Amino acid sequence: MIDIKNVHKHFGKLHVLKGINAHIAEKEVVVIIGPSGSGKSTLLRCINYLEEPTEGEIVVDGIPLTNQANINKVREEVGMVFQRFNLFPHKSVLENIILAPMTVRKTPKSEAIKIAQDLLVKVGLADKEHAYPEQLSGGQQQRVAIARALAMKPKIMLFDEPTSALDPEMVKEVLDVMKSLAHEGMTMVIVTHEMGFAREVGDRVLFMDEGRLVEEGSPEEIFTHAKEERTKSFLSKIL
Amino acid sequence: MNFDFDLIVRSFPLLLVGAGVTVQITAFSVSLGLLIGMFVGIARLSNTWIIKALAAVYVDFIRGTPLLVQIFLIYFALPIIVGQRIDPFIAAITACSINSGAYVAEIFRGGIQSIDKGQMEAGRSLGMTWGQTMRHIILPQAFKRIIPPLGNEFIAMMKDSSLVSVIGFEELTRRGQLIIARTYGSFEIWLSVAFIYLIMTFTISRLVDYLERRYKIDDRH
Ligand SMILES: Nc1ncnc2c1ncn2[C@@H]1O[C@H](COP(=O)(O)OP(=O)(O)OP(=O)(O)O)[C@@H](O)[C@H]1O
Ligand SMILES: [Mg+2]
Repeated sequence: MIDIKNVHKHFGKLHVLKGINAHIAEKEVVVIIGPSGSGKSTLLRCINYLEEPTEGEIVVDGIPLTNQANINKVREEVGMVFQRFNLFPHKSVLENIILAPMTVRKTPKSEAIKIAQDLLVKVGLADKEHAYPEQLSGGQQQRVAIARALAMKPKIMLFDEPTSALDPEMVKEVLDVMKSLAHEGMTMVIVTHEMGFAREVGDRVLFMDEGRLVEEGSPEEIFTHAKEERTKSFLSKIL
Repeated sequence: MNFDFDLIVRSFPLLLVGAGVTVQITAFSVSLGLLIGMFVGIARLSNTWIIKALAAVYVDFIRGTPLLVQIFLIYFALPIIVGQRIDPFIAAITACSINSGAYVAEIFRGGIQSIDKGQMEAGRSLGMTWGQTMRHIILPQAFKRIIPPLGNEFIAMMKDSSLVSVIGFEELTRRGQLIIARTYGSFEIWLSVAFIYLIMTFTISRLVDYLERRYKIDDRH
Protein backbone atom coordinates (compact mmCIF):
# COMPACT_ATOMS: atom_id res chain seq x y z
CA MET A 1 0.00 0.00 0.00
CA ILE A 2 2.85 2.40 0.84
CA ASP A 3 6.29 1.85 -0.64
CA ILE A 4 9.11 3.96 0.70
CA LYS A 5 12.31 3.52 -1.28
CA ASN A 6 15.62 4.99 -0.18
CA VAL A 7 14.10 8.27 0.97
CA HIS A 8 16.42 11.08 1.99
CA LYS A 9 15.40 14.47 3.28
CA HIS A 10 17.61 17.49 3.81
CA PHE A 11 16.60 20.76 5.42
CA GLY A 12 19.42 22.93 4.10
CA LYS A 13 22.52 21.33 5.55
CA LEU A 14 20.57 19.22 8.02
CA HIS A 15 20.30 15.61 6.84
CA VAL A 16 17.09 14.49 8.53
CA LEU A 17 16.19 11.25 6.73
CA LYS A 18 19.13 9.09 5.67
CA GLY A 19 17.84 6.47 3.29
CA ILE A 20 14.58 5.08 4.64
CA ASN A 21 13.21 1.87 3.13
CA ALA A 22 9.87 0.54 4.30
CA HIS A 23 6.77 -1.15 3.02
CA ILE A 24 3.40 -0.83 4.64
CA ALA A 25 0.75 -3.33 3.67
CA GLU A 26 -2.97 -2.82 3.32
CA LYS A 27 -4.84 -2.91 6.67
CA GLU A 28 -1.57 -2.84 8.54
CA VAL A 29 -1.19 -0.68 11.65
CA VAL A 30 2.38 0.54 11.86
CA VAL A 31 3.68 2.46 14.85
CA ILE A 32 6.77 4.63 14.54
CA ILE A 33 8.72 5.34 17.70
CA GLY A 34 12.04 7.05 18.35
CA PRO A 35 13.71 9.94 20.16
CA SER A 36 12.81 13.55 19.51
CA GLY A 37 14.37 14.88 16.32
CA SER A 38 14.92 11.43 14.84
CA GLY A 39 12.78 12.29 11.81
CA LYS A 40 9.49 10.54 12.61
CA SER A 41 7.28 13.49 11.70
CA THR A 42 9.33 14.24 8.62
CA LEU A 43 8.92 10.66 7.35
CA LEU A 44 5.18 10.77 7.98
CA ARG A 45 4.89 14.12 6.21
CA CYS A 46 6.78 12.74 3.23
CA ILE A 47 4.08 10.13 2.75
CA ASN A 48 1.50 12.77 1.82
CA TYR A 49 4.11 15.12 0.45
CA LEU A 50 3.74 17.89 3.00
CA GLU A 51 7.52 17.50 2.82
CA GLU A 52 9.20 16.71 -0.45
CA PRO A 53 11.91 14.04 -0.21
CA THR A 54 15.22 15.26 -1.57
CA GLU A 55 15.98 11.79 -2.85
CA GLY A 56 14.22 8.47 -3.23
CA GLU A 57 10.66 7.54 -4.08
CA ILE A 58 7.36 7.01 -2.32
CA VAL A 59 4.51 5.16 -3.99
CA VAL A 60 1.12 5.28 -2.29
CA ASP A 61 -1.63 2.91 -3.43
CA GLY A 62 0.15 2.50 -6.74
CA ILE A 63 0.36 6.25 -7.32
CA PRO A 64 3.94 7.56 -7.58
CA LEU A 65 4.37 11.04 -6.14
CA THR A 66 5.75 12.67 -9.23
CA ASN A 67 3.62 15.66 -10.13
CA GLN A 68 1.12 17.99 -8.52
CA ALA A 69 -1.92 16.12 -9.88
CA ASN A 70 -0.65 12.88 -8.38
CA ILE A 71 0.17 14.60 -5.12
CA ASN A 72 -3.38 15.86 -4.79
CA LYS A 73 -4.72 12.43 -5.70
CA VAL A 74 -2.61 10.82 -3.00
CA ARG A 75 -3.75 13.40 -0.48
CA GLU A 76 -7.36 12.47 -1.22
CA GLU A 77 -6.53 8.89 -0.29
CA VAL A 78 -4.42 9.68 2.76
CA GLY A 79 -5.90 11.33 5.83
CA MET A 80 -3.68 13.05 8.37
CA VAL A 81 -4.20 13.89 12.02
CA PHE A 82 -1.89 16.44 13.61
CA GLN A 83 -0.56 16.85 17.11
CA ARG A 84 -2.20 20.26 17.39
CA PHE A 85 -5.50 19.29 15.69
CA ASN A 86 -5.39 22.16 13.16
CA LEU A 87 -9.16 22.48 13.02
CA PHE A 88 -10.47 25.49 11.10
CA PRO A 89 -11.42 27.91 13.90
CA HIS A 90 -13.81 29.99 11.80
CA LYS A 91 -15.93 27.00 10.87
CA SER A 92 -18.30 24.92 12.95
CA VAL A 93 -17.62 21.25 13.60
CA LEU A 94 -19.94 20.26 10.77
CA GLU A 95 -18.43 22.80 8.37
CA ASN A 96 -14.95 21.56 9.23
CA ILE A 97 -15.94 18.09 8.18
CA ILE A 98 -17.94 18.79 5.01
CA LEU A 99 -15.54 21.33 3.46
CA ALA A 100 -13.09 18.94 1.82
CA PRO A 101 -15.65 16.42 0.53
CA MET A 102 -17.58 19.31 -1.04
CA THR A 103 -14.65 21.17 -2.56
CA VAL A 104 -12.45 18.22 -3.52
CA ARG A 105 -14.82 15.33 -4.15
CA LYS A 106 -17.71 17.57 -5.21
CA THR A 107 -20.02 15.68 -2.87
CA PRO A 108 -23.45 17.37 -2.73
CA LYS A 109 -23.93 19.28 0.51
CA SER A 110 -26.81 17.16 1.83
CA GLU A 111 -24.81 14.00 1.30
CA ALA A 112 -21.69 15.51 2.87
CA ILE A 113 -23.71 16.50 5.92
CA LYS A 114 -25.08 12.98 6.21
CA ILE A 115 -21.56 11.54 6.08
CA ALA A 116 -20.38 14.09 8.63
CA GLN A 117 -23.21 13.32 11.05
CA ASP A 118 -22.53 9.60 10.83
CA LEU A 119 -18.85 10.21 11.54
CA LEU A 120 -19.70 12.42 14.51
CA VAL A 121 -21.77 9.61 15.95
CA LYS A 122 -18.84 7.31 15.41
CA VAL A 123 -16.40 9.56 17.31
CA GLY A 124 -18.99 10.20 20.01
CA LEU A 125 -19.71 13.85 19.27
CA ALA A 126 -23.14 13.72 17.68
CA ASP A 127 -24.34 16.63 19.83
CA LYS A 128 -21.48 18.94 18.84
CA GLU A 129 -22.08 19.50 15.16
CA HIS A 130 -22.90 23.19 15.58
CA ALA A 131 -20.16 23.93 18.11
CA TYR A 132 -17.01 25.80 17.16
CA PRO A 133 -13.55 24.34 17.80
CA GLU A 134 -12.72 26.79 20.59
CA GLN A 135 -15.76 25.55 22.51
CA LEU A 136 -14.44 21.98 22.59
CA SER A 137 -11.89 20.28 24.82
CA GLY A 138 -8.64 19.07 23.30
CA GLY A 139 -9.84 15.49 23.16
CA GLN A 140 -13.05 16.51 21.45
CA GLN A 141 -11.16 18.66 18.96
CA GLN A 142 -8.89 15.78 18.07
CA ARG A 143 -11.86 13.50 17.54
CA VAL A 144 -13.39 16.08 15.21
CA ALA A 145 -10.07 16.23 13.37
CA ILE A 146 -10.19 12.46 12.93
CA ALA A 147 -13.77 12.68 11.65
CA ARG A 148 -12.70 15.46 9.27
CA ALA A 149 -9.98 13.27 7.81
CA LEU A 150 -12.31 10.25 7.57
CA ALA A 151 -14.92 12.25 5.67
CA MET A 152 -12.68 12.03 2.62
CA LYS A 153 -12.98 8.24 2.87
CA PRO A 154 -9.22 7.76 2.89
CA LYS A 155 -7.56 4.39 2.44
CA ILE A 156 -4.72 5.33 4.76
CA MET A 157 -4.59 7.40 7.93
CA LEU A 158 -1.46 9.09 9.25
CA PHE A 159 -1.28 10.17 12.89
CA ASP A 160 1.50 12.42 14.17
CA GLU A 161 1.51 12.21 17.97
CA PRO A 162 -2.28 12.63 18.11
CA THR A 163 -2.41 12.56 21.91
CA SER A 164 0.73 14.50 22.83
CA ALA A 165 -1.04 17.83 23.17
CA LEU A 166 -3.84 16.40 25.32
CA ASP A 167 -4.45 16.42 29.04
CA PRO A 168 -3.97 12.88 30.36
CA GLU A 169 -7.65 12.30 31.04
CA MET A 170 -8.46 12.90 27.36
CA VAL A 171 -5.92 10.58 25.86
CA LYS A 172 -8.09 7.51 26.16
CA GLU A 173 -11.09 8.89 24.28
CA VAL A 174 -8.86 9.60 21.28
CA LEU A 175 -7.02 6.29 21.44
CA ASP A 176 -10.36 4.47 21.62
CA VAL A 177 -11.46 6.06 18.35
CA MET A 178 -8.17 5.06 16.76
CA LYS A 179 -8.53 1.55 18.09
CA SER A 180 -11.95 1.10 16.54
CA LEU A 181 -10.55 2.39 13.23
CA ALA A 182 -7.79 -0.19 13.40
CA HIS A 183 -10.33 -2.93 14.07
CA GLU A 184 -12.29 -1.88 11.01
CA GLY A 185 -9.21 -2.56 8.93
CA MET A 186 -7.94 0.95 8.23
CA THR A 187 -4.33 1.13 7.11
CA MET A 188 -2.65 3.33 9.71
CA VAL A 189 0.77 4.84 10.31
CA ILE A 190 1.06 6.27 13.79
CA VAL A 191 3.83 8.23 15.47
CA THR A 192 3.23 8.01 19.19
CA HIS A 193 4.76 7.79 22.63
CA GLU A 194 1.82 5.73 23.89
CA MET A 195 3.63 2.41 24.20
CA GLY A 196 0.67 0.58 25.71
CA PHE A 197 -1.39 1.54 22.70
CA ALA A 198 1.40 0.55 20.30
CA ARG A 199 1.58 -2.85 21.91
CA GLU A 200 -2.14 -3.42 21.85
CA VAL A 201 -3.02 -2.10 18.40
CA GLY A 202 0.20 -2.13 16.39
CA ASP A 203 0.96 -4.91 13.92
CA ARG A 204 4.50 -3.68 13.51
CA VAL A 205 6.75 -1.18 15.27
CA LEU A 206 9.46 0.82 13.53
CA PHE A 207 12.20 2.35 15.65
CA MET A 208 13.90 5.40 14.18
CA ASP A 209 17.02 7.16 15.38
CA GLU A 210 19.01 9.95 13.75
CA GLY A 211 17.20 9.68 10.44
CA ARG A 212 17.61 5.93 10.08
CA LEU A 213 15.26 3.00 10.53
CA VAL A 214 17.22 1.17 13.18
CA GLU A 215 14.97 -1.77 13.89
CA GLU A 216 11.53 -3.10 13.14
CA GLY A 217 9.40 -5.98 14.28
CA SER A 218 6.21 -6.95 16.01
CA PRO A 219 5.45 -5.02 19.21
CA GLU A 220 6.41 -8.13 21.16
CA GLU A 221 9.81 -8.35 19.46
CA ILE A 222 10.61 -4.67 19.85
CA PHE A 223 9.36 -4.12 23.37
CA THR A 224 10.70 -7.29 24.96
CA HIS A 225 13.47 -8.66 22.74
CA ALA A 226 14.96 -5.64 21.00
CA LYS A 227 18.21 -6.57 19.28
CA GLU A 228 19.75 -3.15 18.77
CA GLU A 229 21.48 -1.38 21.61
CA ARG A 230 19.95 1.98 20.63
CA THR A 231 16.44 0.55 20.70
CA LYS A 232 17.01 -0.95 24.13
CA SER A 233 18.41 2.24 25.57
CA PHE A 234 15.54 4.30 24.13
CA LEU A 235 12.93 1.92 25.49
CA SER A 236 14.57 1.76 28.91
CA LYS A 237 14.19 5.54 29.15
CA ILE A 238 10.50 5.64 28.33
CA LEU A 239 9.00 2.39 29.54
CA MET B 1 -8.42 90.30 11.27
CA ASN B 2 -12.11 89.69 10.88
CA PHE B 3 -13.51 86.23 10.63
CA ASP B 4 -16.19 85.97 7.95
CA PHE B 5 -18.52 83.34 9.31
CA ASP B 6 -21.05 84.09 6.61
CA LEU B 7 -18.50 83.03 3.99
CA ILE B 8 -18.33 79.62 5.58
CA VAL B 9 -22.08 79.27 5.52
CA ARG B 10 -22.25 80.33 1.91
CA SER B 11 -19.43 78.07 0.76
CA PHE B 12 -20.46 75.05 2.69
CA PRO B 13 -22.82 73.53 0.10
CA LEU B 14 -20.10 73.73 -2.57
CA LEU B 15 -17.55 72.24 -0.22
CA LEU B 16 -19.93 69.40 0.56
CA VAL B 17 -20.20 68.61 -3.12
CA GLY B 18 -16.40 68.37 -3.13
CA ALA B 19 -16.52 66.15 -0.07
CA GLY B 20 -18.92 63.85 -1.92
CA VAL B 21 -16.41 63.59 -4.73
CA THR B 22 -13.66 62.85 -2.22
CA VAL B 23 -15.74 60.05 -0.75
CA GLN B 24 -16.38 58.70 -4.22
CA ILE B 25 -12.76 58.66 -5.30
CA THR B 26 -11.71 57.16 -1.97
CA ALA B 27 -14.33 54.43 -2.13
CA PHE B 28 -13.43 53.54 -5.72
CA SER B 29 -9.70 53.58 -5.03
CA VAL B 30 -9.89 51.56 -1.85
CA SER B 31 -12.18 48.94 -3.44
CA LEU B 32 -9.93 48.55 -6.45
CA GLY B 33 -6.90 48.76 -4.17
CA LEU B 34 -8.36 45.98 -2.06
CA LEU B 35 -8.71 43.76 -5.11
CA ILE B 36 -5.23 44.58 -6.40
CA GLY B 37 -3.77 44.27 -2.92
CA MET B 38 -5.31 40.88 -2.28
CA PHE B 39 -3.84 39.39 -5.45
CA VAL B 40 -0.48 41.10 -5.09
CA GLY B 41 -0.28 40.17 -1.41
CA ILE B 42 -0.90 36.53 -2.30
CA ALA B 43 1.54 36.79 -5.22
CA ARG B 44 4.26 37.93 -2.82
CA LEU B 45 3.89 34.58 -1.06
CA SER B 46 3.99 32.59 -4.28
CA ASN B 47 6.51 29.83 -4.82
CA THR B 48 7.07 30.97 -8.39
CA TRP B 49 9.97 33.40 -8.29
CA ILE B 50 8.88 35.49 -11.26
CA ILE B 51 5.43 36.18 -9.79
CA LYS B 52 7.00 36.94 -6.45
CA ALA B 53 9.57 39.25 -8.03
CA LEU B 54 7.02 41.18 -10.10
CA ALA B 55 4.85 41.68 -7.03
CA ALA B 56 7.84 42.88 -5.02
CA VAL B 57 8.89 45.34 -7.72
CA TYR B 58 5.40 46.79 -7.83
CA VAL B 59 5.14 47.18 -4.07
CA ASP B 60 8.64 48.63 -3.74
CA PHE B 61 8.14 51.08 -6.59
CA ILE B 62 4.85 52.40 -5.25
CA ARG B 63 5.98 52.62 -1.66
CA GLY B 64 9.29 54.18 -2.68
CA THR B 65 7.88 57.05 -4.71
CA PRO B 66 5.57 59.92 -3.71
CA LEU B 67 1.89 59.61 -4.59
CA LEU B 68 2.07 63.08 -6.12
CA VAL B 69 4.70 61.90 -8.60
CA GLN B 70 2.62 58.78 -9.33
CA ILE B 71 -0.40 60.97 -10.09
CA PHE B 72 1.65 63.04 -12.55
CA LEU B 73 3.09 59.91 -14.11
CA ILE B 74 -0.36 58.44 -14.67
CA TYR B 75 -1.94 61.69 -15.79
CA PHE B 76 0.75 62.30 -18.38
CA ALA B 77 1.55 58.72 -19.30
CA LEU B 78 -1.98 57.32 -19.72
CA PRO B 79 -2.91 59.68 -22.58
CA ILE B 80 0.20 58.58 -24.45
CA ILE B 81 -0.68 54.93 -23.93
CA VAL B 82 -4.37 55.18 -24.87
CA GLY B 83 -3.80 57.88 -27.49
CA GLN B 84 -6.26 60.46 -26.23
CA ARG B 85 -6.82 62.96 -23.46
CA ILE B 86 -8.16 61.30 -20.39
CA ASP B 87 -10.63 62.36 -17.80
CA PRO B 88 -9.00 63.57 -14.55
CA PHE B 89 -11.44 61.29 -12.69
CA ILE B 90 -10.06 58.20 -14.44
CA ALA B 91 -6.49 59.35 -13.87
CA ALA B 92 -7.16 60.10 -10.21
CA ILE B 93 -8.78 56.74 -9.53
CA THR B 94 -6.14 54.84 -11.47
CA ALA B 95 -3.30 56.50 -9.57
CA CYS B 96 -4.93 56.15 -6.17
CA SER B 97 -5.94 52.51 -6.72
CA ILE B 98 -2.49 51.51 -7.86
CA ASN B 99 -1.05 53.34 -4.88
CA SER B 100 -3.49 51.86 -2.39
CA GLY B 101 -3.01 48.37 -3.87
CA ALA B 102 0.64 48.31 -2.83
CA TYR B 103 -0.09 49.21 0.77
CA VAL B 104 -3.03 46.82 0.95
CA ALA B 105 -0.81 44.08 -0.50
CA GLU B 106 1.54 44.41 2.44
CA ILE B 107 -1.40 44.32 4.84
CA PHE B 108 -2.71 41.13 3.21
CA ARG B 109 0.72 39.54 3.20
CA GLY B 110 1.11 40.20 6.90
CA GLY B 111 -2.39 38.91 7.61
CA ILE B 112 -1.86 35.71 5.67
CA GLN B 113 1.51 35.10 7.29
CA SER B 114 -0.04 35.54 10.72
CA ILE B 115 -2.25 32.48 10.19
CA ASP B 116 -0.81 29.31 11.68
CA LYS B 117 1.04 27.14 9.14
CA GLY B 118 -0.95 24.15 10.36
CA GLN B 119 -4.06 25.60 8.68
CA MET B 120 -2.54 25.37 5.21
CA GLU B 121 -1.17 21.91 6.00
CA ALA B 122 -4.54 20.70 7.22
CA GLY B 123 -6.20 21.97 4.05
CA ARG B 124 -3.58 20.45 1.77
CA SER B 125 -3.60 17.15 3.65
CA LEU B 126 -7.33 16.91 2.95
CA GLY B 127 -6.62 17.07 -0.77
CA MET B 128 -7.62 20.69 -1.27
CA THR B 129 -5.46 22.68 -3.65
CA TRP B 130 -3.39 25.65 -2.53
CA GLY B 131 -5.99 27.98 -4.05
CA GLN B 132 -8.95 26.24 -2.40
CA THR B 133 -7.23 26.32 0.97
CA MET B 134 -6.36 29.98 0.52
CA ARG B 135 -9.92 30.84 -0.36
CA HIS B 136 -11.83 28.77 2.19
CA ILE B 137 -9.41 28.61 5.10
CA ILE B 138 -6.66 31.21 5.09
CA LEU B 139 -8.23 34.36 3.62
CA PRO B 140 -11.40 34.36 5.75
CA GLN B 141 -9.28 34.15 8.89
CA ALA B 142 -6.71 36.66 7.66
CA PHE B 143 -9.39 39.11 6.60
CA LYS B 144 -10.78 39.42 10.10
CA ARG B 145 -7.34 40.23 11.46
CA ILE B 146 -6.59 42.93 8.92
CA ILE B 147 -9.73 44.99 9.37
CA PRO B 148 -7.97 47.57 11.59
CA PRO B 149 -4.99 48.17 9.25
CA LEU B 150 -7.35 48.24 6.27
CA GLY B 151 -9.36 50.89 8.08
CA ASN B 152 -6.20 52.94 8.54
CA GLU B 153 -5.43 52.57 4.87
CA PHE B 154 -8.94 53.78 4.04
CA ILE B 155 -8.41 56.88 6.17
CA ALA B 156 -4.94 57.51 4.75
CA MET B 157 -6.32 57.24 1.23
CA MET B 158 -9.07 59.70 1.99
CA LYS B 159 -6.54 62.27 3.14
CA ASP B 160 -4.05 61.53 0.36
CA SER B 161 -6.76 61.87 -2.27
CA SER B 162 -6.43 65.63 -1.74
CA LEU B 163 -3.31 65.34 -3.90
CA VAL B 164 -5.38 64.74 -7.03
CA SER B 165 -6.36 68.40 -6.82
CA VAL B 166 -3.08 69.08 -8.68
CA ILE B 167 -4.49 67.64 -11.89
CA GLY B 168 -7.53 69.85 -11.57
CA PHE B 169 -9.85 67.19 -10.27
CA GLU B 170 -12.52 68.91 -8.22
CA GLU B 171 -12.60 67.07 -4.97
CA LEU B 172 -12.79 68.74 -1.57
CA THR B 173 -9.36 70.38 -1.52
CA ARG B 174 -9.63 71.65 -5.09
CA ARG B 175 -13.08 73.09 -4.34
CA GLY B 176 -11.58 74.94 -1.43
CA GLN B 177 -8.83 76.37 -3.61
CA LEU B 178 -11.33 77.52 -6.21
CA ILE B 179 -13.53 79.25 -3.65
CA ILE B 180 -10.52 80.98 -2.15
CA ALA B 181 -9.45 82.19 -5.57
CA ARG B 182 -12.79 83.96 -5.84
CA THR B 183 -13.29 85.16 -2.27
CA TYR B 184 -9.77 85.44 -0.71
CA GLY B 185 -11.13 83.86 2.47
CA SER B 186 -8.17 81.49 2.96
CA PHE B 187 -8.50 81.03 6.67
CA GLU B 188 -12.24 80.43 6.76
CA ILE B 189 -12.23 78.05 3.84
CA TRP B 190 -9.20 75.96 4.87
CA LEU B 191 -10.67 75.70 8.33
CA SER B 192 -13.92 74.41 6.86
CA VAL B 193 -12.08 72.00 4.58
CA ALA B 194 -10.08 70.63 7.51
CA PHE B 195 -13.25 70.27 9.55
CA ILE B 196 -15.00 68.30 6.80
CA TYR B 197 -12.02 65.96 6.38
CA LEU B 198 -11.98 65.43 10.12
CA ILE B 199 -15.66 64.54 10.24
CA MET B 200 -15.22 62.04 7.40
CA THR B 201 -12.13 60.31 8.77
CA PHE B 202 -13.63 60.22 12.24
CA THR B 203 -16.74 58.54 10.86
CA ILE B 204 -14.68 55.91 9.09
CA SER B 205 -12.62 55.15 12.15
CA ARG B 206 -15.81 54.69 14.21
CA LEU B 207 -17.14 52.38 11.53
CA VAL B 208 -13.96 50.31 11.57
CA ASP B 209 -14.08 50.09 15.36
CA TYR B 210 -17.62 48.84 15.12
CA LEU B 211 -16.75 46.19 12.51
CA GLU B 212 -13.80 45.05 14.56
CA ARG B 213 -15.90 44.69 17.68
CA ARG B 214 -18.62 42.85 15.83
CA TYR B 215 -16.13 40.35 14.45
CA LYS B 216 -14.57 39.87 17.87
CA ILE B 217 -17.84 38.97 19.52
CA ASP B 218 -19.00 36.89 16.61
CA ASP B 219 -15.63 35.29 15.89
CA ARG B 220 -16.99 33.02 13.20
CA HIS B 221 -18.54 33.05 9.75
N1 LIG C 1 10.75 22.60 8.24
C1 LIG C 1 11.92 22.33 8.83
N2 LIG C 1 13.00 23.10 8.59
C2 LIG C 1 14.19 22.81 9.16
N3 LIG C 1 14.41 21.78 9.97
C3 LIG C 1 13.39 20.97 10.25
C4 LIG C 1 12.09 21.20 9.69
N4 LIG C 1 11.25 20.24 10.13
C5 LIG C 1 11.99 19.45 10.94
N5 LIG C 1 13.27 19.88 11.00
C6 LIG C 1 14.36 19.24 11.73
O1 LIG C 1 14.45 17.91 11.33
C7 LIG C 1 14.74 17.06 12.43
C8 LIG C 1 13.73 15.97 12.53
O2 LIG C 1 12.48 16.55 12.84
P1 LIG C 1 11.16 15.72 13.06
O3 LIG C 1 10.10 16.70 13.39
O4 LIG C 1 10.93 14.82 11.91
O5 LIG C 1 11.53 14.85 14.33
P2 LIG C 1 10.59 13.94 15.22
O6 LIG C 1 11.20 12.61 15.25
O7 LIG C 1 9.19 14.04 14.75
O8 LIG C 1 10.74 14.63 16.64
P3 LIG C 1 9.62 14.87 17.78
O9 LIG C 1 9.48 13.59 18.53
O10 LIG C 1 10.22 15.94 18.62
O11 LIG C 1 8.36 15.30 17.11
C9 LIG C 1 14.83 17.96 13.65
O12 LIG C 1 16.16 18.23 13.91
C10 LIG C 1 14.10 19.20 13.23
O13 LIG C 1 14.63 20.32 13.87
MG1 LIG D 1 7.39 14.93 15.50
